[in-house]
Order: sequence, then C-alpha cells, then structure tokens
Amino acid sequence: MNLTNGQPPANEPVSRRQFLRNGARLMTMTGLGVAAGALVSRSNGAAYVWQIDPAKCLHCGNCATQCVLEQSAVKCVHAYAVCGYCQLCTGFFAPEPNELTTAAENQLCPTAAIKRTYVEDPYYQYSIDENLCIGCAKCVQGCNRFGNGSLFLQIRHDRCLNCNECAISRTCPGQAFRRVPVDHPYLLKTTSR
Amino acid sequence: MKPEFELYDRREFFGVVTKTAAVIGLVAGAKASAEEQGQGTANPFAYDISRFQKTDPKLVAYEEVNRWPIPHKEARRLAIGPNDQIYLCAGNFINCLSQTGQPGVELALAGPACCVAVARDGTIYAGLRDHIEVFDSKGAKTALWESPDPKSWLTGLAAGEKDVFAADAHKLVVLRYDRHGKILGRIGHKNAERNVPGFIVPSPFLDVIIHRDGLLRVNNPGRHRVEAYTFDGDLEGAWGKPTAAIEGFCGCCNPIAITTLADGRIVTCEKGIPRVKIYSASGEFESVVAGAESFPENAHACSDLNDCIHGGIDAAVDSEGHIYILDIVTGDVRVMKRKA
Amino acid sequence: MFRRLKIIGALGLMLFLALIVCAEQRFPPPDFENGYQLPTTSTPAARHLWLQYGDTAVFLAALGLAVWLIYKKRSRRWLFCLSLFSLAYFGFYRRGCICPIGSPQNVVYALFNPNYAVPVTVLVFCFAPIIVALFAGRAFCAGVCPQGALQDLVLIKPIKVPLWLEHALSIIPYLFLGAGLIYAATGTGFMICRYDPFVPFFRLSGSTFILTAGALFLLIGMFIGRPYCRFLCPYGGILRVASLASKWRVRVTPDVCTQCQLCEQSCPFGAMREPTPPGTNPKWLTAERRRLGWLLVLLPVLVLVGVWAGSKLNSAASKVDPAVALYERYARQQIKPVQYSAMSPEALSLQRAAENPDATLKAARDLQHRFILACELLGGWIGLVIGLKLIALSLRQNRTDFEPDRGACVACARCFTSCPNERVRLGLMPATGEPASL
Repeated sequence: MNLTNGQPPANEPVSRRQFLRNGARLMTMTGLGVAAGALVSRSNGAAYVWQIDPAKCLHCGNCATQCVLEQSAVKCVHAYAVCGYCQLCTGFFAPEPNELTTAAENQLCPTAAIKRTYVEDPYYQYSIDENLCIGCAKCVQGCNRFGNGSLFLQIRHDRCLNCNECAISRTCPGQAFRRVPVDHPYLLKTTSR
Repeated sequence: MKPEFELYDRREFFGVVTKTAAVIGLVAGAKASAEEQGQGTANPFAYDISRFQKTDPKLVAYEEVNRWPIPHKEARRLAIGPNDQIYLCAGNFINCLSQTGQPGVELALAGPACCVAVARDGTIYAGLRDHIEVFDSKGAKTALWESPDPKSWLTGLAAGEKDVFAADAHKLVVLRYDRHGKILGRIGHKNAERNVPGFIVPSPFLDVIIHRDGLLRVNNPGRHRVEAYTFDGDLEGAWGKPTAAIEGFCGCCNPIAITTLADGRIVTCEKGIPRVKIYSASGEFESVVAGAESFPENAHACSDLNDCIHGGIDAAVDSEGHIYILDIVTGDVRVMKRKA
Repeated sequence: MFRRLKIIGALGLMLFLALIVCAEQRFPPPDFENGYQLPTTSTPAARHLWLQYGDTAVFLAALGLAVWLIYKKRSRRWLFCLSLFSLAYFGFYRRGCICPIGSPQNVVYALFNPNYAVPVTVLVFCFAPIIVALFAGRAFCAGVCPQGALQDLVLIKPIKVPLWLEHALSIIPYLFLGAGLIYAATGTGFMICRYDPFVPFFRLSGSTFILTAGALFLLIGMFIGRPYCRFLCPYGGILRVASLASKWRVRVTPDVCTQCQLCEQSCPFGAMREPTPPGTNPKWLTAERRRLGWLLVLLPVLVLVGVWAGSKLNSAASKVDPAVALYERYARQQIKPVQYSAMSPEALSLQRAAENPDATLKAARDLQHRFILACELLGGWIGLVIGLKLIALSLRQNRTDFEPDRGACVACARCFTSCPNERVRLGLMPATGEPASL
C-alpha cells in the first residue's frame, strides 16, 4: 500500500501550483516561527489566572450572578489582621438588628455564610463558610462602610475554571479583574483601605 | 457537468453576502441600542441604607438659625462656657468666640487641641492629646498637669465644682482629677468585680459630661450606649440600642459625643449616618435636632472617602437652650433653636 | 558624629510620627488576653503548571495520532474513537478551555499589549494545529477538536447545502475572525470565546442565550454536518487557508482513482470535488481569464471600499469596549440623567467615573483612537476576504480524480470506505486481479 499524497513522483518537474504551495508553506512557517519567537521571548513560562483587585472592587453583586459556574468561584475572604473583632460587626449584622445574636433575621448575609464565634469580651471572630458564600459582597459593603474593610472578594482557584475571558470581568463596573501569575494568584488586603 | 460556479450563481452569492451583512448589522445595532436605552440591572444584594438617611420631618424639633465658619482648620470639639461663650478646639488652638462667631481670646497650644472644658469660674481646661493644661479666663496659662500615660488620647473633658473629668479614648478610662491636677480615680475601667464591662472605643471619640443628677454620663461607642457612673466609678445604669433606625445608634461605634440640656435631657451626636438627637434622661428617644440630610459632606467623608476617624460632629448647649453643632468636615458651627 | 546622630534622630522621629498617623488610619487591632491566635486567610492554589504542560503533551500526542490515523491507518473507526477521547478530555474534563479556537486572540492581545505575555502552552495550542495543517491538512478538526467531535456525534442525516449558499456562508468565519482579533488587539475582550456555543455544554452551565444558541447549533447539526466548523469557526478559517498549502492531502482512494463516482455523495460536509472535464472550450478560457483579470483589479478596490466602510463603523464598534461604554454612559448622564437602581452596577460605575472624569475621558479617547485604525483594518480585511473569495471561485482547478477539497475537508475519513480500492485494501472485497480503469 502506497502512501499516496498527491505529490508527483521524483524526476518529474514540479507544477506551478506545487511550487506556489511549497513557497506559501515555507513563508507561513517562517512567519509563525518569528511570531512564536517574539512572543516566547516575552513569556516567562508562567501561566495566568484571574483575580479581583480589592482596591477597585465596587461590591456591585455581579460576581454572584455572572460567573459561568452555577455557584460562583468568587467568595468573600477575611483579612483577620485588619478586622476589629467588633461585637457589632457591620458586615455581619443587618443595619436594623433586633438583637445582636446569630438569628437569621439579624444577619446581613443572605445565605448565613459568616460564622460568629465568641473569643473574649468584647471580641468575636467572624469567618466565612465558603460552601455557603455566593460572593454577593453584601457583607463587604457593610464592612467597608462602617467597619475596617477586612472583608473582601477574591476568586478562589480551587473552584475557578480560569476561562480565557472571565465572564464576570466583562461586566465588572470597577474593572477590578486582572490577570495575575499562577504562582501568586491572590491579591489580599493587608491594610484597611 | 456544470462547472463548479457559474456567473449566475455569483450574483446570488453577492445577494447572500449583502443580506448576511445587513442581518449582522441589524443585530449589532439592535444590541447596541438596547444597551443604551436600558435602565440597567438592579443589584439584589445592595446594602441599601438610604431609608435611614432620610429623617421623618415630624421628628425634627429644631431649626437652624445661624451658621458661621470657624477660624482654624482641623476642628475637634467645642464647649460652652459660663457666659455662653463658645470654646473651640481646632488645630493647635483653642478659640473663645461669641455666640455669633466673633473671635475673642485665642490660646495657642504646643500640640493639637483635642478637647476643652470651662468651669463655672471661667477656668479653661485644655486637653491636648496626652495631658491637660489649665488657663484662666483671660487666657494666661496657670498650670500644666502631668500626663497620665504617654499613650493617652484625651477626647473629652468635663469640669465640675471640685473635679475635672478627662475621657481617655486609648486607655479606655475616664480620669477623675481634682482642681490641682491630682488623679483621684479611674472610672469605667474594665472590672469584673464591680460589674463594669469596660469601654469599647474603636475610633477615638470618648466623651464625658456631668449630669444635673450628680452622675457622670459617658458614651460607650462600641457598645452603642450611654452609661451613667458615680464619681467613684460605680456603674449605675446604661441605655442605648444598636440600630441604624432613628431611635438607636448606627454603624459600628456611636454615639461619638454627648451633652446635656438644662432639664437633664441628653443630646447625642453620631457619625456614619450623621445626626444629632435628643433622648430623655432615662434614655427614651425624643426628637431629632438635625438629621442626616443636614450633613451631606460628613456622610460623604465617612462612606465614600472612608475617613471615619477625621469626620464627626460635636454639640454643646448654651443657657438659652440653643444647641451649637460643630461640623468637623465642613468646619462650621450651626446654631439650632427649638421650633415653636 | 553629632550631625549623624541628629539625622538619625530626625528620621526616627519621622518614622514614629508616621506610625502614629498610620495608627490613626484604622481601628486598632484588639489586644487578646486569652492567647487567641489570628487565623490566616487561606489561599487555595490554582491548577498546577505541570498539569497544563501535561495537557499540551496530550494535545500534541492526539494531533500526531490523528495524522497517523488519517494517512497511515486510514481508519474512520479509530479516528472516531480519538475524537471521543478528545471530547472527553479537552471538552468535559478541561471544560473546553484553553482551546485553539480562541488562542489567536491571546496571540494578538500579546502582540498589542506589552503587559500580557502569552503562556507557552497557549502558543502550542495555537500554532501546532496550523503547522499540522500546513503538512497534513485539517487533522485537528476531525480528531482533536472537542467542538467538532460534539457536532460529529449528533449528525444523523446530512443534507447537502446548495453550493451558492455554502460559498456565501463560508466567508463568515473570516468576518468573525477579523472582528474577534480586532477586539482582542484593543483589549476589549475575547469575542470568539464569548460566542462559542458549545463550551457552556462542557461547563454544564451558562446564560440562557448561549445555551439556546448551542442547542440550536446541535439541532441544525443533526441535519447539516458541522455547521459551526463550516460556517462560523474562525480557527477553521485559518486552518482552511493553511490546508491549501499542505504538503499531503487526504485521498479517498489508497492508490488509484477509477472514476467510479461512488464517493461523490460520501462527504457529509460538501467537500468532495469532481474531476474537471477534459478538453476546454477556448472561448470559455478567454472569458474566464478576462473575468479573473477584472476580479484581480477589483480586489484593491474592494479593500479600499472596506477601509472606508470600516472607518464609518468606528464609533459603534468601540462602544462594546467597557471603558468607552462607561464614558458614553457618564456623558449621557450629564445631559439626560437616567435613574439607575440604587447601588446597581451602572450606578456604581457612574459614581466611580464621577470621581475622576478626566481619567475616564482619557481612557475612552485612547481606546477610540485605537479603534479608528482597528476598524479600518477590519473593513479592509473584509474587503480582502470577499475579493479573494471571488478570485478563488474563478480559478480553474485541474482535477483528474475525485478528491476532497483541500481547505474544506476536515479529514474525518468518512469517505474512505466508499471507495472500492479502499475496500479491497481492507479485505472487504476481493481484488479482481485487473486494475479497474475507464
């Protein structure tokens, strides 16, 4: 069985089409090589992932609804070193709580994802259960408005699919999404503002 | 056999190309125009406190009759002396002004003027950040009291017959001095045996007043209440509710300043949703002196500029019951008179 | 020495004051008395880089295997198995991302944005199928592309698309490619990724619009083979052109074409071509040459008309960009205010724009500037595509055998078993002992 490939047998002159084709192929390969070389020289081999810049985030609620996944890959995270551990945490409690307990009617979070645990008087620890958090930034708004601003949104990379174009980034009103190197995939808050 | 493509088919091809282009153009145009006219999407997770920023007009019992700017920047506190003169702490100065803002005596201090109190005999007690200096009514310095602690941050002063009380926002205590600067006691310090839970002061706004019933009133911003102490430091009672609604104290730490009317009712100042309110002596909400609508720059400073520490308001009452409100952000004093 | 001490003292004082100022900036951290330790914020890592290299290795292996299966083994069944594996791996496991279809956008984005460097894996995904196409045709389309595999799965009864419609729709991939690359170059977004109808199926979630579009494509794909590949896929457009220069071509017959015409209807994608009839009427030749001449002259005219038309599209096209759209919304708000819901994304973006209107304006103007050139290029590209298509339609192909069109053939190997010589090779038919001929 021959591997017939449309090429003329040896010793026959190459047709004009064949010559043009070979030339086009050579030029394309050269062009691709040049382009690849130019691009690779800038690349450091690392890949990119998406992340939210908390300084630009406007807490608009799009992260909860625009992710391609049903449960968004964006979650609220807590910078414990920035937190005031207040008894009345304005990121935890609704603006008009009946009393300062963990009853659902007093909480701001629509899915009760923030866990409040007593440390010592008058300090309470607030931590987020990521399986419940939907990334809606309601607590982030409360914390930033009246509190230290220790709650903020981040893309969690054990959930994020790392789409070539992040669907949330398209609709972000603060243009807070940017690509970060995969070995430093978080933009954590270390200060209050 | 027909050749692959005939002239006849080419015309159809052009027709299809034109139609496809038209369709694409229409769709793109429709999409673009739809985006322009849209009212936008609602945010179902909005943290909307706009309903708290509007005050029910039926609750507002005071109206503004005068407003004048203060002479220096970085205002902090104000107090009213025995002759209805206004004493302002701004920058490194304490200014004594008339009720219409005419300048009088000016005391230049070595450091920032954080708080002031004037005794009935006219002695001015000026609270710098960590110590108190005493001046006579003419403005001559008579004493410099030793600093109780280098980390002190005095934010409130009250002068009584025999005692001077200084509220320290960093050390979380109200110091009781005699008229000569000797510390007689520490009030409000956390003490489980005396059932004193202690002050929570996330931002430096601790204030103290001497009430006509002989007890001190101190604001406890982190616990959203006003506490009553004896001069010896026993906690006699407390009132206050944490809520953004009008009858409580909003945000994380309010009230930031308190003062008292002649009949014992208490005037409170809040930041975040800036408002000045009046409560009865036992803590029932009575009326609003100035609601959030009166302090737009203050609200903007706290929410948009995230500068809650340098914002705020303070209030003081003169002998006729006018309430003077110092707006720290705009740098002016407003004179409020009770409505008829 | 005293001077040095004074300088150190001054610096120390400044540092102390700075610390005090910093301490004033936020609420003080609590002093815990019972020995409570602050927890640390967890930072779950992203997918390992070596796994991405693994994906690239699998990709290259699949490409190589596809070429071997098409040219050496010549087996539709094994190629189908490979495409199923690709659907499972690159489709459902990797959720269809990163895929070669979108990768030219990354390359163009990197060329025009110094802040972004293309990862090597993406470069391989972009260039490897093109290089393969330059030698062995569209082996990627048949064996490795998960979108193609999905369409192949749903194909039940292929209907032949009329030739004029097929030619007309075949320029859409190039329009899509042009628009997608323009938007990638300006940094607006990746349109090709945005409007991929099949990736939401791989992710098992997506907006109603794109899921409906995907379902529609699959529905159409039951009767019209590979509608996305033939009429929309921009990367398919690139591979089509690359395949025109391929070294080897897919041949229906393993050795000699006996002109039996049994393979004519075997291609569900309309790629099979007949041999050109021998002997041409010299009248036709002159007419054809004249037509070709006119089309060659028409080509630069079309390009220029396209450039002009593109420049008119500039303002509409630039509105897709979020920075330009924000400025437009802000400017419109000053003239005719619209009441947006409180704290909606639009209201918040307007607040942000109001903080620094000059910066918003500058960003929008810079982008609109880039869009002027970009739209002119896009218009010229569209003119070029139409002109080249017309020229391609007028070129005479001298074909002696039945063979698939180099560019349109997706190398799916369906046509092989329709050829009697292939059946002889497979042992399904006895050899007659004489070479069959006309």
